[in-house]
Amino acid sequence: MTDIWWEDIEPGNRREVGRYTFTEDEIVAFARKYDPQAFHLDPEAARHTMFGGLIASGWHTAAVWMKLMIAYRHTEIAGGARRMRAGVSPGFEDMKWLKPVRPGMTLTYYTETTAKTELRSRADMGLVFSRNEARDEAGDLVFSFTGKSFVQRRPKGDFG
Amino acid sequence: MRLLHFEDMTVGRVFDCGTYHVTRDEILDFAREFDSQPHHLDEEAAQRSMLKRLSASGWHVCAIAMRMLADGVILKADNRGGAGAREARWMRPVRPGDRLRMEAEVMEAKSSSSRPLGFVTFDCRLYNERNEQVALVSMTPIVGKNSA
Repeated sequence: MTDIWWEDIEPGNRREVGRYTFTEDEIVAFARKYDPQAFHLDPEAARHTMFGGLIASGWHTAAVWMKLMIAYRHTEIAGGARRMRAGVSPGFEDMKWLKPVRPGMTLTYYTETTAKTELRSRADMGLVFSRNEARDEAGDLVFSFTGKSFVQRRPKGDFG
Repeated sequence: MRLLHFEDMTVGRVFDCGTYHVTRDEILDFAREFDSQPHHLDEEAAQRSMLKRLSASGWHVCAIAMRMLADGVILKADNRGGAGAREARWMRPVRPGDRLRMEAEVMEAKSSSSRPLGFVTFDCRLYNERNEQVALVSMTPIVGKNSA
């Protein structure tokens, strides 16, 4: 079976990446290390803030997207899907934290390929853009961003 | 110390956010929990990747930028949460043992017309000890206005 190269990628294909329920313990543990604002850190102190209770750091919501993406790729490959020749990412754009994420909430994460471009600086890689989202149980948008990743170009002579 | 407000966040003001020592254990802990790609977990796998050596997850670098902005600015301010992050650029790998330095420059300060707060966009620039910029994280915390 051949791999998926940059040339094979088409925009579209929105898919559910996974679901995740945020617990109070995890929200607090992340906040202690990386985002020690009262409304992320301390359930009691959080009650007296404008959020009226504990909420997850936006960077925690983002890190969970990565966690679910990796699990999703493993499941796909285990199920016989072709492996995308993706490498690292140069970054992202336009991340929005639209609604608070509270303990016990379950978010459903989605990804969709939106565009791809060639790279002037390298002939062996291309760039692929994705629209990524998380929605709450009511289907409301909670979190979104535009992802970017480098994907290898098909080597000359490979017609896979 | 006097609490910082929206009015203190003038465009062009630069906050020194100190330094952050990134240990191998922290890189591995973050990767195990959130980003278990081989180049963040395993030295040999990293050598075969684009990154060449074990490196921190970009999401970890963003979390570190958040911590440094919190310690350098947000916890000294009338903090009201965050609206988002305009962009992140992962420019160079962050390696075990790196001591990162960060400066946060106010790029935009947008006043809310309906509420006593504003949206402040900071460009957080992180550098390693060789003075190479490793990342840019542009994020927009919400800061209360000085009603006094």
